[in-house]
Amino acid sequence: MTARKRFLVALAGASALSVLATVAVLVGPASAHKDPVTAQQLKAYQDALMEEVRKGDLLFHGDDAIAKQMGVKLTATGMACAMCHPMTADTHPHTFPKFQAQMAKFATLRDMINWCIEKPNQGEKIESDSDAMKALEAYIYWSNTGSVLIPGRY
Amino acid sequence: MSELEQDRREIASVLQQPGARPDPSLKITRRTFIHRSCLVGAATVAETFAWWPLLNTLDIANAADAPFKFAWISDTHLYPKSLNTRFVEKTVRAVKEVQAMTPPADFLIFGGDLAQLGTVEELELGVELLKEVKIRKVYIPGEHDWYLDMGKKWGELFGQANWTFDHKGVRFVGLDTISRAPDYWSMKKMSPKERMDHMSVLDGTVAGPWAGVGRDQLDWLQKTLSNWDRGKPVIIFSHNPLYEYYPPWNFWVRDWRDVNEVLKPYTKVTNIHGHVHQVLYNEIGTMRSIGMLATSWPWPYAPEGVPKLTRPMIRVDPGDPYDGVGWSPWSVSAQDKVDTEYVMWGRKEVFAQSVEDSFANIPEILRPRIADNMYPY
Repeated sequence: MTARKRFLVALAGASALSVLATVAVLVGPASAHKDPVTAQQLKAYQDALMEEVRKGDLLFHGDDAIAKQMGVKLTATGMACAMCHPMTADTHPHTFPKFQAQMAKFATLRDMINWCIEKPNQGEKIESDSDAMKALEAYIYWSNTGSVLIPGRY
Repeated sequence: MSELEQDRREIASVLQQPGARPDPSLKITRRTFIHRSCLVGAATVAETFAWWPLLNTLDIANAADAPFKFAWISDTHLYPKSLNTRFVEKTVRAVKEVQAMTPPADFLIFGGDLAQLGTVEELELGVELLKEVKIRKVYIPGEHDWYLDMGKKWGELFGQANWTFDHKGVRFVGLDTISRAPDYWSMKKMSPKERMDHMSVLDGTVAGPWAGVGRDQLDWLQKTLSNWDRGKPVIIFSHNPLYEYYPPWNFWVRDWRDVNEVLKPYTKVTNIHGHVHQVLYNEIGTMRSIGMLATSWPWPYAPEGVPKLTRPMIRVDPGDPYDGVGWSPWSVSAQDKVDTEYVMWGRKEVFAQSVEDSFANIPEILRPRIADNMYPY
C-alpha cells in the first residue's frame, strides 16, 4: 500500500470515528437521562429506529440487495416474509413470548422469525442478535404499533 | 373517523338498504364429503377422493336447464420450476382433481395470477400444467400476469380479458379488474421489471389503488346484461372482489359504486373472485360475493373490514404448504341451485370451529410499509 493510500485509509477511519463520536456525544449513555432531552436527540433516536425499520422492511419484502449487503439468505424459494404477512399481518409480535405449537417450545419472536426462514422459506437461519434480526424485529414491531400486548395469546 | 371507516359506512348506507338482499334462493348451505375414501376403502378410490376433504356448498335456486358443474382454480403464482417446485406441485394437484371430477365439469375458470412475476416462462409453464385439464377452459387475468409486458403475452395465450357466454340458463361474465392501474411507472421511468415488482407486492404502496372495472368495461357490462332476464342467474368472475373490503391490499375495485349501479336491477348475481387467497363471503345489495382459495399460499384476513357475513377460515399451519390452499368445484342443479365447495387440502373443516382456531383470532393494528417509498415516510 502506498503512503498516499495509507493516509486516505487512516483519514477515512478517523472521519468515521469522529462521526460516531459525535453521535455518541449526542445520544450516548454518558449523559443519558441526566439532562432534558432535546428535539435534536429525539430526532436522532427516531432516525436510528427508522433506519432499522427501513432495512427490516426491505428484508421482509425479499429485497435481494439488502440481504446480500447484510450477508443473509432468508429464502431459497422466491417466497418473502411479506408474501404471507402483508404489512406484517399475522406475525403478532405482541403475543410473544409464548408456547409456539410449530416448534413445540416456549418461543420468542426471534425464534419464530428463524422458524419461518428455515421452514416455509427454506432459507438460512440468522444469528439471534444479528443486525438482520434486529432490523426484522424493528420493522415487525414498528408496523404493529398500536397492537395491544397480549403475551402468550395462542 | 378514518377514510376506510367512512367508505364502509357509505357501503352500508348505499348498498345495504333494509330488505335489499340477494334472492332468497341464493343461500349458502354446507355439504361435507369427508374422506369418502375412508368409507370406500379401496386404494384407487382413495387416491381419487382423498382430494375432497371438505366441500362447502352454496345453493342458487331457479336455474332452468340441465344440471352441470364447473371448476375454479386461481392464484397459482407460478415461479419457474428451477426456483420453486411447491407452487408447481400444488397446481398439478388442483389440475388433477378438476380433471377427476365426477360428473365432469363443463368448464374450468382460471381466476387470474397464473404467474408470479408475469414472465413468458411462468405463463407458458401455467399453460403447460393446465393442459392436463381437457375440458373447456376460460381465463381472466390477475395483476401478476399483466404488468411486466402490460398483458401482451397473456393476451397472446388467452385472448380477450373480458368476455361473456350463456351456459344452460346462466349468463357467465368474465371481468378484467386488473389492467386499469393509474400510471405509476412513466414519470419514474421504471423498467418493466420494476413496474412488475411494485405490482407484485400486495402491501406495496407505489402501485396504489390499481383494481377497477373502468367506465368502458362497465358500459360493456351494462350492454351485455341488457338482454338478460333480470330474474335469471348471472355469475360474474373477477380477480378482485367487486366491493370494498381492504383497499390497501386492493381487496376491492375502486369503482364498486358504479358496478353496483349496473348490477342493481338483477336479482340473482353471484360474484366469484380470487386475489384474496381466503374464505370470504359478502352480500352487497342484491349481489353475493364469494372469495376463493389460492393454490399457492393463503393470505391472512385484513386487519379491518372483513365482511360480517364471512365465517372465518381456520388458522393455517405455515409449516404445511398444502394447508389453507386449494380450489373449488361448483355445480348448478336442474332447479338452478349453484353449489360451491371449498376444497382445502388436508382439512376436515375449512371454517374455524372456535375463536382460538380462527385465522382472524388475534386483533392487530398495522401500519403500511415505508421502504418502497421515498423518505420522509
